[in-house]
Amino acid sequence: MQHLADVEVHSARSLREALELLSTGKRFKVLAGGTDLIVQLRTGALPKTDLLDISRIDELRYIRFDDGVLRIGALTTFMEIYKSDLVRRYAPVLSEAAFTVGSFQIMNKGTIGGNIVNASPAADSLPPLYVLDAELVIVGPRGERVVGIRDFYRGYKRLDLREDELVAEIRIRPPGDGYIGHFFKHGLRRGDAIAVVNGAVLVDISRDGVVRDARIALGAVAPTVVRSPNAEHVLIGSRLTKEVMWRAAEAVLKDISPIDDIRGSAAYRRELSVNYVFMTLYRIAREAGVSA
Amino acid sequence: MKFPGYAKLREIRFYLNGKETAVEVPPAYTLLETLRYVLRLTGTKEGCARGDCGECTVLLDGVPVHACLTLMSQVEGRSVVTVEGIERDHRLIRAFVEEGAVQCGHCTPGIVVAAYHLLKEVPRPTEEVVREALRGNLCRCTGYVKIVRAVLKAAGE
Amino acid sequence: MTVQRAVGAPVARKDAFEKATGAAKYASDLFPDDFLWVAVLRSKYPHARILRIDTSKAQAHPNVVAVFTHKDVPVNRYGVFKKDRPVLCDDKVRYIGDPVALVAAETREDALEALKLIEVEYEPLPAVTDPLEAMKPDAPKVHEDGNICREVHLKFGDVEGAFARADVVVENTYRTGVQIHAYLETEAGISYMEDGKIVVVAGGQSPYRDRAEIAHALNLPPEMIRVVTPYVGGAFGGKDDITVQIHLALVTWKTGRPARLVWTREESMIAGTKRHPAVIRVKTAASRDGRILANKIEIVYDKGAYTALGPAVLDVAVENCNGPYRVEATQIDAYSVYTNNMVSSAFRGFGAPQVIFAIERQMDLVAKRLGMDPIELRLRNALRKGDRYVFGNVLQGSVGIAQCLEVARSHPLWRNRNSERVGEWPWLRRGIGVAAAMKGYTIGALPDKGVIALELLRDGKVLVKGSFTEIGQGVVQAVAQMAADLLGVTIEDVEVVFADTEVTPDTSVTSASRQVFLAGNALRKAVEALKERVAELEERLRGRRPADVQFSGGWVLVDSERRYTIGELARLLDSFGLGRQVTGVYDVPRVEPIPGTLEIPHLFYMFGVTLAEVVVNVLTGEVNVTKVVSIVDAGKVINPVTFTGQVEGAVAQGIGYALMEEAKIEGGYLLTRDLSTYLIPSSKDVPEIEVIPVETEEPEGPFGAKGIGEIGIISVAPAILNAVADTTGVEPNTIPLTHERLYWLLKEHGLVEELRSSGS
Repeated sequence: MQHLADVEVHSARSLREALELLSTGKRFKVLAGGTDLIVQLRTGALPKTDLLDISRIDELRYIRFDDGVLRIGALTTFMEIYKSDLVRRYAPVLSEAAFTVGSFQIMNKGTIGGNIVNASPAADSLPPLYVLDAELVIVGPRGERVVGIRDFYRGYKRLDLREDELVAEIRIRPPGDGYIGHFFKHGLRRGDAIAVVNGAVLVDISRDGVVRDARIALGAVAPTVVRSPNAEHVLIGSRLTKEVMWRAAEAVLKDISPIDDIRGSAAYRRELSVNYVFMTLYRIAREAGVSA
Repeated sequence: MKFPGYAKLREIRFYLNGKETAVEVPPAYTLLETLRYVLRLTGTKEGCARGDCGECTVLLDGVPVHACLTLMSQVEGRSVVTVEGIERDHRLIRAFVEEGAVQCGHCTPGIVVAAYHLLKEVPRPTEEVVREALRGNLCRCTGYVKIVRAVLKAAGE
Repeated sequence: MTVQRAVGAPVARKDAFEKATGAAKYASDLFPDDFLWVAVLRSKYPHARILRIDTSKAQAHPNVVAVFTHKDVPVNRYGVFKKDRPVLCDDKVRYIGDPVALVAAETREDALEALKLIEVEYEPLPAVTDPLEAMKPDAPKVHEDGNICREVHLKFGDVEGAFARADVVVENTYRTGVQIHAYLETEAGISYMEDGKIVVVAGGQSPYRDRAEIAHALNLPPEMIRVVTPYVGGAFGGKDDITVQIHLALVTWKTGRPARLVWTREESMIAGTKRHPAVIRVKTAASRDGRILANKIEIVYDKGAYTALGPAVLDVAVENCNGPYRVEATQIDAYSVYTNNMVSSAFRGFGAPQVIFAIERQMDLVAKRLGMDPIELRLRNALRKGDRYVFGNVLQGSVGIAQCLEVARSHPLWRNRNSERVGEWPWLRRGIGVAAAMKGYTIGALPDKGVIALELLRDGKVLVKGSFTEIGQGVVQAVAQMAADLLGVTIEDVEVVFADTEVTPDTSVTSASRQVFLAGNALRKAVEALKERVAELEERLRGRRPADVQFSGGWVLVDSERRYTIGELARLLDSFGLGRQVTGVYDVPRVEPIPGTLEIPHLFYMFGVTLAEVVVNVLTGEVNVTKVVSIVDAGKVINPVTFTGQVEGAVAQGIGYALMEEAKIEGGYLLTRDLSTYLIPSSKDVPEIEVIPVETEEPEGPFGAKGIGEIGIISVAPAILNAVADTTGVEPNTIPLTHERLYWLLKEHGLVEELRSSGS
């Protein structure tokens, strides 16, 4: 374990103060909730640097719905997201994921912005954001810009985010009322665990069981979270039968590239990816009242 | 508490168990280190120092978090409640004692704090809700059976 | 006649309140004045020669008071069975947690910084990390005299004849993995000088044995050392061996200053002892009508780098590997083999869980081959009181296995096991499994004795003193309840003083599920000694010895004529100079060991049966344990709440052992070094547990009580795997049966394809 007794911490009380500090050219690690960063610093996974503590910037903590857009401040905690009626109504798949990021203690401290910027391919908030086609509002000295979640990640932990910028808000345009979606996550125990694979499936099914739209995202099976156009293609326009479900599930293999690691082999991850997509589609079909 | 010469110290003021408290510590010191090493409040335990076991659970502005994953800079001006701040005759403590939910007892304070908060939020939880709320608190001695029973008993009173 | 008021009653533990409020102090909560922070530098390699250690830069670091290496240790080898373990490594490092140097500094940060400044030049050596490889003649040598720590070869009965006669022969290889104790309080302690003595206050399981080890290493008389064991935040055998004690004593002895050493979680995962991983081959001969004719068993236990308690663990494996059955003949070849892995030693079950896993999976396979009900097969062979066990020893103590099996057989979970096979979703399957267990408690044929002291106080209270340690199991409470009933007083009037070499006599080690039995019997002896003391007093008072002394209802009754309160008695004893304290010594009954063994046979055994209900997700390999019934041959239950609590906790550890506690080790390096990668069961992983005590009577036990600390874990893993086999048809023979491991078995068995091709 590494001690942090000689680490300088600059505490910003407003977004403006934070941006000012970031543009001084000093090297900072930005501290939001800290549930990932503090562990990484103390274990030496990250080299010791000074910290910019933004955890007290209350103006970045909110959940609002206006003009048809769900807006979540980057410093909103996962517990706040989980409990939010707005999120349950407009982005329930994100609500499901929020409950699984870790224990209640972690949910109370970890922030969605922190999860996004930590950029683990196994981050639980990401697959829902991918199927919801979420956008990130990034602020910096040059003003504000909006980036789609899929464009934000350029590779393993490579972000479209400059040193003097902060992710300030997550924007979600809710899909139509007919959409049904679920988050899935495989952990190695029923209690808290890092995902071996995770993902989200969001489907719009017509009354007669035909898939009008399908969005599938998978995590922990590639350097970034990925959507599976191959699986989506199998589903769109088809009736949701068991045969179609398996075919779509198997099609995800074309879009993922898992590796072996401490939690599982690449081969097992491939099996889980296929099987979880099937199980989730099956669940959705049952909920939609479609007889497979 | 002795600090090395290269430590960056800062005065941090916060509310501890209802009382205004000031400590001089490195701002990147964790709340857990401050509670145990500086203030010698040893009710909050260190089981892993990385947020995996829940032994260091305290209430920060009323909400359970890991003290080992809370830096003192994040505590400035806020309220912290530890197990020492819970009324000793609280029905939860009584239930833990009566139900035999305490064996080695090392995980118990963290669970008491987490359950204390749960009962405030959800006065009549189901067993499933209790198990979810406590899933971040590991126990190696009890198998959780009597812990869950104790929380439900306290809820029923 | 002792009236039982406290014994058998669900009295709330006295220590529960202070623990629940956070007031109780564990060793890691202690901060002596002006103490030094101690940190340990550990090996970089699983196997390497040490060429050079340079501590000069570390010593020069500000706030560093001292840096110690092997040069500072008078006798640099310790260990209970063999003194082969260095206090601080000198010639070699033999596993990744081996300690090489100690730093003592004024601040925690400087201790950590100084560790980085110690220069150690290593010559890496090839590491041997597979015990089967380590047994080969050309394997790298962990210790000079070779890698076989111990081997046992026994043969009883006509093994060849049995196999020749057999109608069915089943042969299989079973594998069990490392299990890490993962107690919530890591290894911790403090030390300081007081009255010319080195005082060590540390978590452990025997203050007297710790003291002897410290004395030996520092070459000091034991009287110069005081060891105190406060409340321990979990042990389960992981604190049976020395952990921080010698290091702490060394620092205080050399610097004169108090010291504090608390292992980090990572350190605890790596440096402390573990459960022996094992490879066990079992060949069983059975007759068509379900009699087990013979077992030929080969056992290999991975000892890791040092001996520790390995020799005794191997003995327990040998003693229990045939299971709780009448087996006509057996051949056992057992090896404990050194490797450059983490040190294996004691862990709840102490060698039995591995072999019972093997034999209990085997029994289900035999039942399957014979087309017999698994409980029926077990009952047909179950041991009963008076039977001869495989070694020829007659079982004279309580033997409750048949009763436990009968309870299992008539339990609704078993009776209705075929009722609902499919789960809520088509990929879920439900199964029920059963397994039986046995293990001797106390240390069997090895000599063991315990002493308890009783002191009467003038205010009417009674002090019971013993060196048993309170590791969560509730021994302090049990002793208080027994003392209350034996002395006819209320629990409130009994105070138990425990685990302090200065103040408590030696009640032997807290392990082997022995303390209720040992301390309880020593307590009975002390009460007899007290009666004798009363008789002496009476003789002084009245010139003749009484015929009868009883303790009842708060009174000491003499010849049913006179009576005293405890307080009065205490004052009288004082005024006659007879002393208010007596001791009782209990020698654990034993027989001579079978040649080639250390502790076989035991005279006292624990028995139990586990029923497990599981739901398997065929598409992921996840096994969800939805219900466990643990049926325990419990003797007389001293406290039903602590009894069921012990069993529930043991079951939870068994679930972890069976399914999720995988220590990933590569080339001797532990990859899963924290509680997010080494997964122990959480509140969502442990289901409802029903504990059913079968109260047999242990004639030699205090109040008829017997040991119960370990039996709850031993049959859990095989019961769970038997349940998985029951519902899926695959035969898993390795634990932990992680999701991935099971998934590949299911896939190989066609179960995944079956779901994938079911188009409608």
